[in-house]
Amino acid sequence: MNDSENNEGNENSESNKSNETNESNGNSTHVPLHERRRHWWHWQRLARSRPRLAVIMAVTGAIVGALLGGAGVAWQAEAGPFADDRACWGAFSRDDAAALFDGKGDGKGDGKGDVKSSEVPITSDRTGAEGSSGQCLLTRDGSRITVQTHQLDTRFGGAGDQWADEFLSARLTPLGGGLLGMASDTRAWLAVPDGCIGRPRDADVTGGPTVIDLATGWTLYDDEVNTEARDRLARAVVKLVNHYMAEKGCTGTIADPIGRMPEPPRFLDEKKDAMCGVEGLPLPRGYGRDSLGRTLVTRGAGPVRTCDRRVLFHHPELRLMTVEDPRLAMLYARLSENGAQKRIKGDEHDGYGFVRDDMGLFQAECQTGPVTFLIRADSGRRRAEIRTLLPRFVAAEADRIGCGPLHITLPAEG
Amino acid sequence: MKQLMGGARRRAVLIGGAVAVLVAAGAGTWATDTWPFDGKDTYCWGAWKEDSGPDFLSGNALDEDNASRTSKETVPTPERQRGRCTVSLRSERFSSDGDKVVEKTEVTVDYGPAPESAARRMEWLGTFLGDRAMPLPDSLPGVSDGRRGLLVLPKGCDTRDGRPTAVTLDSTAESVYGDSTMPGDAGLGGSQSAARLLLAAANRAMEKAGCAPDKPLEVVSPVLTLPESGETFFTRACRIRGLELGKEAEDLAYQVGPVTRDLQSCSVRNVRGDGRYFDALMVAQPRLSAMFDGATGSKAPARGWRGTGVFADTYKVVRADCAGRPLTVLMLAPSLHETTPYFATFANAVARRVGCAPIAPGGSSR
Repeated sequence: MNDSENNEGNENSESNKSNETNESNGNSTHVPLHERRRHWWHWQRLARSRPRLAVIMAVTGAIVGALLGGAGVAWQAEAGPFADDRACWGAFSRDDAAALFDGKGDGKGDGKGDVKSSEVPITSDRTGAEGSSGQCLLTRDGSRITVQTHQLDTRFGGAGDQWADEFLSARLTPLGGGLLGMASDTRAWLAVPDGCIGRPRDADVTGGPTVIDLATGWTLYDDEVNTEARDRLARAVVKLVNHYMAEKGCTGTIADPIGRMPEPPRFLDEKKDAMCGVEGLPLPRGYGRDSLGRTLVTRGAGPVRTCDRRVLFHHPELRLMTVEDPRLAMLYARLSENGAQKRIKGDEHDGYGFVRDDMGLFQAECQTGPVTFLIRADSGRRRAEIRTLLPRFVAAEADRIGCGPLHITLPAEG
Repeated sequence: MKQLMGGARRRAVLIGGAVAVLVAAGAGTWATDTWPFDGKDTYCWGAWKEDSGPDFLSGNALDEDNASRTSKETVPTPERQRGRCTVSLRSERFSSDGDKVVEKTEVTVDYGPAPESAARRMEWLGTFLGDRAMPLPDSLPGVSDGRRGLLVLPKGCDTRDGRPTAVTLDSTAESVYGDSTMPGDAGLGGSQSAARLLLAAANRAMEKAGCAPDKPLEVVSPVLTLPESGETFFTRACRIRGLELGKEAEDLAYQVGPVTRDLQSCSVRNVRGDGRYFDALMVAQPRLSAMFDGATGSKAPARGWRGTGVFADTYKVVRADCAGRPLTVLMLAPSLHETTPYFATFANAVARRVGCAPIAPGGSSR
């Protein structure tokens, strides 16, 4: 409606002028003088008759409408002049990416220059055996953030696996709300929820959840997790997964996790009879504060409860871990079956496991599904402690998560 | 000031401009398939629209020969807190052998309180909450499994005698061949879509019944689909210690449903004939649990049981306090075989899992 009103207004003022001219000149030739002085494309020359004017109005209106419509569509689709150069498969705007580095989302950064990004699109290999994977690298002034999309498989839960070391570390806090994901100030990860691209069958040994994870670098501060930075990474990983789900045509949006996440963990003051805060698990001799570092335990309910001791570059010297979420516990399925000759005895329906010099593992079949109980050292020197701790650890943790009573017997030594 | 433009000319300009704008706007709405050019039908009190996503509402569903979509509905009102709507699809096609096949699909939404008769209510609750039903996200008191769903409405919609009102969504689909009938998929479009259909119908029904909350209910988070399928080769059912079924397990299959603090289910079926061996259910979510109110008896169902309960012919139900909130366990089973020991095992295993004292005699706590 605006168009026509504006034109009408113009016409009024134009007509006023022309009329004055007419009166002062007072002559009339074939083409009025005031029109002759006008260029051929002047609207009033073009619109000499009413039908012509109406046609012109209609055409102009349609063109303006089409342009507006087209621009609107382009704006919505973020195409053409409205395109935003987005990073990480389109999930992050320029401001989002900058905010990951400095915490400010104003796109101006802190004078350190632009964020550069490069990425490998998320694709599956031809057989689909390894699931979807992709990578995105954000860099600015020497700092870098690596974003990976990949399907976890039993290789990620192996004895010395880096992914489990880093991403299941006690520094990370569960995102809560039943989400399979965690975050710290240097690492964050989140699985695509079941039902979007589906969870592979248990029967498929290499199958696991598809996760998107973020790694920003290293820190030497075991128990000093910067809460602001953690929340930033948690939000970023939720954004990545929501974007991925939308791309896959899955409805549903994961809500902001920040409100329900507890404060990051602090070093635990261990009691003698509660190693890692597990009631009924005596601290082995020589495990005081001075000898084997201090203890950090996952805070908040979530997919795992990890207890790490003396962590160097994200690699714990000793780890006691309960993997409660079946989607994650399945990473240990193959290891629990093939891990060693020394099988743990228990009720055949309760689960299976093994113990060896650097590791003890029991894969239990709980009401909720598979649950992994794991004790792991970075060398074979902790053999005696592992043997002492494992049965009690399994019994106590099984009780805590509602999988008890669970009693296992270790094979004889030698 | 002089009026310089003649009335006719002015009118022409105005009309021309208006027509142009209308044409442009019309082209836009036509291109984006929005009002007023869609002419789509709506169903279930206006909650669902043709072509809004799910297959059974799509235009393609009517492409077959003699295809029709019909609907019936009774609207709930503030005076009459009951309603129902049904969308039926029917089409014919010819199979590769040239035989006529009739496809029938029916999607039904019910609004109202749970059935009054205890036996019917238990069966009803077992049907909607058991088997593969998963809890809805965002703290909504309801479930969905992609074929059916149930949502307990806010307290404002409770009946005058204080019973909760629920909205249920159910679907059936079948292909009728000359000599046999095959079950099919009703085309609700999966758990997420089924949950949305359920919520849309619930919101509209509450409006009609005059008890809609300030903000319509909605599902934002992803709706989970049960990842596990049934298990046929087993001795211990539903990973529950003590539910070892021994020799009988050879002809049985089990399905573990959700295992959360609010809801747990385990159904065991005969492999042949698809008959029920038993369906076990635990409900602790307060609003879902309220659906059992008045049907769990006033005393212990048998000696040694904690709480109150009823052991009837076709069902056993017990409600006991668990960490400050009522926990209800239900077992539906034909009276052909003795299932009390299984029920006791299930009740105690679940109670122990969520950290409560045993409910059945002979259990031990953590």
